[in-house]
Amino acid sequence: MNTFKPVLTEHINQKDCHTLQFYKSVGGYIGLEKVLKMNPENVTQEVKDSNLRGRGGAGFSTGVKWGFIPKDSSKPKYLINNADESEPGTFKDRLLMNKAPHQMLEGMIIAAYAIGCHTSFIYIRGEFYKEYKILEKTIAEAYENNILGQNILGSNYNLDVVIHRGAGAYICGEETGLIESLEGKRGWPRIKPPFPAIEGYLQSPTIVNNVETLSCIPHIINRGSNWFKSIGPEKGPGPRLFCISGCVNNPGVYEEPMGIPLKDLIYEKAGGIPDGKQLKAVFPGGSSSAILTADEAFDVKMDYEDLVEKKSMLGSAGVIVMDETVDMVQACLNIARFYAHESCGQCTPCREGTAWLVKMLTRIVNGNGTPNDIDMLLDITDNIGGLIDFSQGSFGKTICPFGEAVSWPVRSFVEKFKDEFLEYVPKEKVFA
Amino acid sequence: MPLLKIDDKEIQVKSGATVLETAEENGIEIPHYCYHPALETVGSCRMCLVQVEGMPKLQVSCNTFVGDVHPDRKVDGKYDMVVHTQTDLVVQERKNILEFLLLNHPLDCPVCDQAGECYLQDYSFKFGNAHSRFMENKRVRSNEYLGSQIVINHNRCILCSRCVRFTQEISGTSELYVEARGYNSKVAALEEKPLDNLLAGNVADICPVGALLSTDYIHKNRIWNLKKQPSVCQDCSVGCNIDVFSQKNQIFRLSPRENHDVNGYFMCDIGRYGFHRFEEIERVTKPMIRKGDSFVSIEWEKAILDTAKALKSAKAEVSGVTSPFHTNETNFMLGLMVDGIIGNLSQINDEEITYPSGFRISNDRSPNRNGMNDVCPVNVEDFISEIDKQNIRTIYILDDGVDRDFDEVWKSILSKMDFVIVQTYRMTMLAQSANIILPGLAPFEREGTITNDRGRVQWLRPSLPINGESRADWEILMMVMKTMDKKAQVFTDLSQVIMEMCEKIPAYKDVSFFKLGEKGLSLNGATPE
Repeated sequence: MNTFKPVLTEHINQKDCHTLQFYKSVGGYIGLEKVLKMNPENVTQEVKDSNLRGRGGAGFSTGVKWGFIPKDSSKPKYLINNADESEPGTFKDRLLMNKAPHQMLEGMIIAAYAIGCHTSFIYIRGEFYKEYKILEKTIAEAYENNILGQNILGSNYNLDVVIHRGAGAYICGEETGLIESLEGKRGWPRIKPPFPAIEGYLQSPTIVNNVETLSCIPHIINRGSNWFKSIGPEKGPGPRLFCISGCVNNPGVYEEPMGIPLKDLIYEKAGGIPDGKQLKAVFPGGSSSAILTADEAFDVKMDYEDLVEKKSMLGSAGVIVMDETVDMVQACLNIARFYAHESCGQCTPCREGTAWLVKMLTRIVNGNGTPNDIDMLLDITDNIGGLIDFSQGSFGKTICPFGEAVSWPVRSFVEKFKDEFLEYVPKEKVFA
Repeated sequence: MPLLKIDDKEIQVKSGATVLETAEENGIEIPHYCYHPALETVGSCRMCLVQVEGMPKLQVSCNTFVGDVHPDRKVDGKYDMVVHTQTDLVVQERKNILEFLLLNHPLDCPVCDQAGECYLQDYSFKFGNAHSRFMENKRVRSNEYLGSQIVINHNRCILCSRCVRFTQEISGTSELYVEARGYNSKVAALEEKPLDNLLAGNVADICPVGALLSTDYIHKNRIWNLKKQPSVCQDCSVGCNIDVFSQKNQIFRLSPRENHDVNGYFMCDIGRYGFHRFEEIERVTKPMIRKGDSFVSIEWEKAILDTAKALKSAKAEVSGVTSPFHTNETNFMLGLMVDGIIGNLSQINDEEITYPSGFRISNDRSPNRNGMNDVCPVNVEDFISEIDKQNIRTIYILDDGVDRDFDEVWKSILSKMDFVIVQTYRMTMLAQSANIILPGLAPFEREGTITNDRGRVQWLRPSLPINGESRADWEILMMVMKTMDKKAQVFTDLSQVIMEMCEKIPAYKDVSFFKLGEKGLSLNGATPE
């Protein structure tokens, strides 16, 4: 895989790489021109054939998702670009919006064309002010150059793009929470069915795609689905932006093919762990994924299947590295606190359970834990989001996957670093 | 029609029905909090989770729809869906949800008004754990007023959001919302718009726990001490179906009773708190006769005799005044008794309100104008001039019980009368001008039928015992008639009056208590939607 050449981030180090002029000079919008002459169904088919899977976290097939849009609906269709990137340890969409906004916009227009949408939204995280300003300029440039608006590039296709800034809630990155928020309501995820592809924004068919997913689209159109499929494992192929943070020498975004060994990412790409310390644990896909021990991390490939086999997930590909000095109980409390703070409060298990976890973990950290607490922590995480094994009834206990997102990491901390938790429990109580 | 199997029961269901609805209709209990049939489904309480064959996750039954599946995919070759509500997985999940709900709940059932009709209590009893594993401190918040008559006890709230959805979808006023997020979430009212709409009282009814409380009922009684009497609200011509909760001779609260042909699940606050009006009135409970400027009590026999004598001596020159506040039977009896002209008191009108959900409060704040006009119509064009023309000197009035100021017209009518008989339950201005006062029943003591403004006859049932020497209004008229004419037809109970009424008034031919039942009967044939 040494021959891999970055696709999405190929030009990010060049001057003015965010401008339309630059993007056109490197072949920008050629794909769009091609698409506008195609039948929309063939565009969807091409994306389906590429096996592109969503880069936001769930990893659902993008082409299949587009195919859910009802053909016979008289309602308007909407495409929403999910730029709410709020998963801890994830910062790839920000980079793409900063450096290659036209690449993303081209992907959006192609996607919108494929599903028959004429109004599209970019739901951008409120904190991304700089990126918001860049996108404003990008969209203005596009309108000036007939890339957006009426009769795009001489075709009879029209599309408007509206930027909407979020107000800083993690849950508004969940697609139905995002849609509610976009409608001006409280960001409470909706119960499914109906799925957004049938009834989404304003009860109309809606597709929500991640920034990185959309950025892949022009390349699939330009170079074909077979080229895309040839990168990495066939079931979930393509280039992927890995965000590496935590205890590494060179944290940052690395574009690599799917399926790269996690070990290579940490030790070759990110320069290893500072001061020669030992690896202790890694979040492979943002803080919602189950944590991997060093042994597991050395042995895992960064693709959907291999990580699910290790009872974790690729998620948003936010790799958070922890070395031997990290206190896993404190880290676990930190994660639990984040999720308790971000829980929308709609579903009973998540609203009550996340706060209970924080109270218990705080008590343990303060030295008031009991040996029973360990089993109880496992039991509570099970009751909020279920076990990680996908057996019947062991997941899907809440409206949205937030329940799993808090349960799985906390559960994996407690299971894999049980000894550290027990160390916090006062000794006399251990032997009592 | 899809075939659904819930536990061991096979049920044919309408395509698109939910599992929860179907289970309820078929007597299978699936516990739930956030689901309410009048409100949009949100599926957030997670209490109604069931196991559906072929689905990896437990499903919320309130949002699981049964539809026809392809013959090849039917379970056991014939079922479109197979649901289990009693498996270990479901039973355990209910325990888990209840454990979460009770973590921060104060468990103050001994002083909670909801105790006895609380779903948290009932489901904990049926499905919950006996012990708590929670060792941490509970979240404690103080009570708040959401509106002038609704208080929220945040500690008891389980955030099912029924009340919030009620104000959004039923009253359309949107005063309530959920404030903050996650563990800090709480139901709140807009500062500039407190929960003071005329449907506000319903939020306390639909609250499945003791969080929302009507200040009118807080710490007044225990629900198990109260007698529950199904009846009909008499505060406007919509005729909302209600339950009256009383102990001995005191009403403690009213709550709406489900009737989709009338009021759905709700009632308005005018009716809800209307019963207090009758608590402080000057009740008339004894027959009285005028002596100069004041009244003295007399025996019933004498009162009836004097009334009969006065009516008889006036012969045909007697006029009767019907009342839209009285039952069909009472008005009908008045029509039988009075040969002369029939008139009405002036109508009391108020604002007509229709909510986005279709819930109505009628501008006619009397319960039975339709029925009154059906069973004892006004038989002259202009009551006032007819009184003059026919030189009428005796009048028999069914009093509304509404304390109104009389206009000039009525003042002049009364001044022309030699003898005024008022059948009433309270000392109104009208009663003050009577020669004889015959004590009838107050609204919550009455029994009979009333007809709402959409032509639906409903059974008004008594919820309070008869006060003092008062008699049923139809019975008073019966006694007078019998005394006037020994050969008069005698009715010994209310159903006989109804039978006679059915015979005389063709539109009412199908009316009987049996047919009215709890939901009433539409005179228009088909029930209006």
